[in-house]
Amino acid sequence: MKIVGVAACTAGIAHTYIAKEKLVKAAEKRGHQIHIETQGTIGTEDALTDEEIKAADCAILAIDIKISGTERFKDIKTIQVPTEVVIKSPNKLIEKAEEIVAKN
Amino acid sequence: MADVKRNGSIINTLKQHALTAISYLIPIVVGGGFLLAIGSLMGGVAIEDFNSKWGFADTLYTMGNQILGMLPVVIGTGIAFSIADKPGIAAGFLVGLISIKMNAGFIGGFVGGYIAGYIALFLRNKMHVPKWAEGLKPMLLIPLISCFVVGMIMFYVIGTPISIFTEALNNFITGLDMSQTLLFGLIIGILSGVDYGGPINKVVYAFLLSLQSEGINEPMAVLMLASMVTPFGLTMMYPMQKIFHKNVFNRTEVDTLKTAFPMGVCMITEGCYPIIFNHLLPCVIATGIGAGVGGALSMFWACASPVPHGGLFAMVTMTNPLLWLLALLIGSLVFAIVLFFILKPVKADSEIVLDESDEADINLSDLKIS
Repeated sequence: MKIVGVAACTAGIAHTYIAKEKLVKAAEKRGHQIHIETQGTIGTEDALTDEEIKAADCAILAIDIKISGTERFKDIKTIQVPTEVVIKSPNKLIEKAEEIVAKN
Repeated sequence: MADVKRNGSIINTLKQHALTAISYLIPIVVGGGFLLAIGSLMGGVAIEDFNSKWGFADTLYTMGNQILGMLPVVIGTGIAFSIADKPGIAAGFLVGLISIKMNAGFIGGFVGGYIAGYIALFLRNKMHVPKWAEGLKPMLLIPLISCFVVGMIMFYVIGTPISIFTEALNNFITGLDMSQTLLFGLIIGILSGVDYGGPINKVVYAFLLSLQSEGINEPMAVLMLASMVTPFGLTMMYPMQKIFHKNVFNRTEVDTLKTAFPMGVCMITEGCYPIIFNHLLPCVIATGIGAGVGGALSMFWACASPVPHGGLFAMVTMTNPLLWLLALLIGSLVFAIVLFFILKPVKADSEIVLDESDEADINLSDLKIS
């Protein structure tokens, strides 16, 4: 499946990027296509395009804080989760996402 | 935003608003804190009267002083914005300003920010106006009504109790005797350290920021130290392996240290995560003891940091920086000794591969699905 998402933590310098890396690794291991945007304290990097979001099966928001642009995901299945969970259990989260997408 | 949050616990949502505000706050405090500290090192003072003579150092001091004095506004606006989006900003801003005037400080801005945000959100979602007035709603009605209501609440209901509470808290902390100071440092050190930047640490952080806005900077130095004990301690264990001929790290873990230590210098614990997750319980025990000891020493030696982030780079701004460094090194050494003796020896070239089944189960209440 195709996954898009955003990672953002409080300080915006470490958890954000660790969460992104963990998600990407876990998703690719299970054969998914994934693109994660980061909204760190430096601002938005690796921004998602509208086409990517449209084509995605689900969005994973690994965020501890309010992010900008949540309205972009209103038409697709969205799973929001604290960065801590992503860092601890990335593979389980991707499995969960598969279940959630399969149910629909 | 509001519609994304249908599931998930209330506590998580409230926490997210606080964290959002803190994420806006950190760069502001760091910028202001450094300016203040540099200005103060150069002998600057706050400029009261711009008609009299003032110097370069005074400008730095004044910039920092102005920024730090505005923290209740930043936190109030940040929380209200997180809750209600743009319509929350006016009321959140006002709450912060009133909080400063009433000496309700950071706590006033914090509590008021939630009230302001939810009033604005309520008006935004529940107030129905005729079609011709739709433009007036965001332009006039929400800002006016939300500011008025939250202002009344601040003045007549919560402002005074919070300012009394803030003052009592400050008197309590500035009035601690020697053994209480040690105990306070110990507790702050343990709480800031044991969950490695997780929710306990963030609650303590918010509390310490509120003390900082009252000019009490010693506890923040403890928190900074506690966040650095783990990377420093783990790094100290590397030479200990050679000295005591006991290997506790495998090759991957040694590699991790190469990035974990420089990150630790900048007060980022996360670089140590790979090692911490391999030995979670022993690490937590060692961090608790090490950060507690370091924290108690730092409080006892009255080390204070006006800047709430930055690690070793913040040392230039500290009171008693060398004693703080000493406290950090002692705390880290304690951490290293404790962990070194708890951990079982391993072969240097062994690899720990984390299996998927080793991962913690996901708590469904952590997920918000929409």
